[in-house]
Amino acid sequence: MAEETQRPPQSSGQGPGGGPGGPRPGGGPGGRSGPGGKRGKRSYVRRKKVCRFCVDKVDLIDYKKADVLGQFIQERGKILPRRMTGTCARHQRWLSVAIKRAQNIALLPFGAEI
Amino acid sequence: MEERLYDLIFICRPDTPEADIDKIISTLEHAASEKETKIEKTEKWGRKRMAYRVHKLREGYYVYMSLRTTHGELVKELERRLKVADPVIKYLTVRLDEELKRQAKLKAHRDRRAARRPRKTGTTGTAPGGSEQAVASS
Repeated sequence: MAEETQRPPQSSGQGPGGGPGGPRPGGGPGGRSGPGGKRGKRSYVRRKKVCRFCVDKVDLIDYKKADVLGQFIQERGKILPRRMTGTCARHQRWLSVAIKRAQNIALLPFGAEI
Repeated sequence: MEERLYDLIFICRPDTPEADIDKIISTLEHAASEKETKIEKTEKWGRKRMAYRVHKLREGYYVYMSLRTTHGELVKELERRLKVADPVIKYLTVRLDEELKRQAKLKAHRDRRAARRPRKTGTTGTAPGGSEQAVASS
């Protein structure tokens, strides 16, 4: 226990990017950053994109809801790729079908406004 | 043949009088009733701006119908009628029962898992929860 109480001040003094580790030195025992004085260089946090339909537990993407589908197309009417929106593969598949149906009844544009 | 669910949407010219739209709907309903088809829903969405111009029109009067039928050839008949109706500028029929079936399957699957989960998370959930609390307090 004595060792562990010593360690936190060290790591907070050395670590350049130890900002998030700093405020909780007491919580260290058994924690992730215990042994390593420095971990990685500059670790920036990339927020993981999650599929919006999975979060909402959508089983059926309604082609009639143009306001929802409209968020997944570009200005000029293209369908946004998965890497931009974070949609999962299954929902992207359903989404593309729904968007194409909506385009057919002029709820969504095929391309830029004429 | 098994029952199938279709969505039928058609768009009329925006300057069509309400009476004409009602007439089109009633002819469709009449044709449907001849084939023992149940019309589950008829909705008039009214005048909406279309995403692109159709027949040089920017607006259209949307009508939505949902029908359940065992006669697949009815769709052909309804589309033929919509094609010859002058005020109709666009229509779309979508078969939906397979997607609904898939939805029901997924929902049943999730419900089963949800029913099973509480016990699981109850036992495992207490351990991490307790340690988190310890971390927060110390």
